[in-house]
Amino acid sequence: MFLTRFRLNTARHGSRRLLSSPQAMHAAVMSSFPGVLPTTAPAADAPRTLWRLDERARAEVILYLVSPDRPDLTHLVEQAGWPAVATPDDPGWQTRPYQPFLDRLTAGQHWAFRLTANPVHTIRRKEGEPRKLTAHLTHRHQMGWLLDEERQKRAGFRIAEKPAGRRTLPGGTTHKGHPHHGDRYELSLNDTRSLSFSKSRPGGGNRSRVTLVTATFEGRLEITDPDLLRRTLTHGIGRARAYGCGLLTLAPAPKPARQEAR
Amino acid sequence: MSTSPTSVLALLLAGPLQAWGAASRFSRRTTESAPTKSGVIGLLAAAAGIARDDDAALAVLAALRFGVRIDQPGTRIRDFHKAMHPVTGKTMPLTERFYLADAVFVAAVEGDHALLERLDAALRSPVYPPFLGRRSCPPATRVDLGLHRDAVLEDVLRTVAWQASPWYRRRHHHPETGQLTVLREKQPGEDTPADTLCDQPLSYSPAQRRHALRSVVTDRVRPPRESAHHDPFDAFSEDDDL
Repeated sequence: MFLTRFRLNTARHGSRRLLSSPQAMHAAVMSSFPGVLPTTAPAADAPRTLWRLDERARAEVILYLVSPDRPDLTHLVEQAGWPAVATPDDPGWQTRPYQPFLDRLTAGQHWAFRLTANPVHTIRRKEGEPRKLTAHLTHRHQMGWLLDEERQKRAGFRIAEKPAGRRTLPGGTTHKGHPHHGDRYELSLNDTRSLSFSKSRPGGGNRSRVTLVTATFEGRLEITDPDLLRRTLTHGIGRARAYGCGLLTLAPAPKPARQEAR
Repeated sequence: MSTSPTSVLALLLAGPLQAWGAASRFSRRTTESAPTKSGVIGLLAAAAGIARDDDAALAVLAALRFGVRIDQPGTRIRDFHKAMHPVTGKTMPLTERFYLADAVFVAAVEGDHALLERLDAALRSPVYPPFLGRRSCPPATRVDLGLHRDAVLEDVLRTVAWQASPWYRRRHHHPETGQLTVLREKQPGEDTPADTLCDQPLSYSPAQRRHALRSVVTDRVRPPRESAHHDPFDAFSEDDDL
């Protein structure tokens, strides 16, 4: 497995095209692997290529990529990077082997994490109707989706809880009695987006629209099952993994916000 | 100048309206462009449950060194204020009230660690609820922003993350030109040009409020970057490469 980072040059036309359509980005990402033909069906339950866009500022857009094979992003550098400064040593992206890091994960470790996901559930609006896939739209439901006990257990981690001294709500719930996940857990929802883009059909037929709600979670987690977490990191979480969702990344946990020592 | 290590308590003062009067009298109630020491010490005293006429307890808080950083200056707005007395139905005096709309400040007080620890706890379960300079201006978010042990006021105001709204940070994010104003109390023995402001609280007694003059030094600092930095490459060690 490999982890790759590529910074987009947002001043370029090619970046606008990629940033405006997750489908175009998906195609560009998949074109980075010479071994993967569009006709190759991936083996069932094999690690897959996951990607995510981190946009911290208008001109600071980073594409992260986790993939079974080492990618070649030359075409991305040419379309949406800085091709003139690329050298053989620094081609414009950085790739590092992921396995040594994955091997170091053990139960009980704390990590800061970031995840862009597509939180959905199925509902039946009236009796006898087939269940219908529906996005979670409010922060409470989106956080609830990630905090779901079963989901966390399957993924091999637990979202860390805040110490009592850092919580604002003494009773643990809002005045209407709802649980407040952001007060109880080390979890924040920094970006929610509704994406809508057209998807071209093979053969140039009718274009259909894809709509998608994404939520970007940040926080701290504790590893409960390293094997399951390794699987989560390489297989992704939830739906819409072709469209930039489901890639979980870990980073060294920063010191808690309420720092006592200097 | 005290030699024992001091701590710093940081506060986040953000709300739709704030009003920090230092010199206003009668029917024209003005506001300074940044929180006053008397306003912030009053907020802490209220949270700790100190009575308005308890000047001895106030003196302990008023001895804390105070500084404030203007993270988002906000807009000064004027309110032509007309009211009837709820009981007698008489018209109250017409007043002009000035507010800062949509402003964000980081205030900090420096002093004894045990005292600041008590105040930090008091802010999380206040005896009297905090307000931003005028009773009608509630804070929009939690006020306490962390207690820094063995810290210096200037360092904390330089390092606490920029608290302005996302839209404001996007619009004013030039790292070279954008600077934040810090108004801080002079250090004892420091020889820097300073302004004076009459907001050193001596008494909040309803019968007679009294304030003394205070020296205020103006500094400029770079907006500190957000701490929400997340780079998965940080988790790799040097020998992870092929």
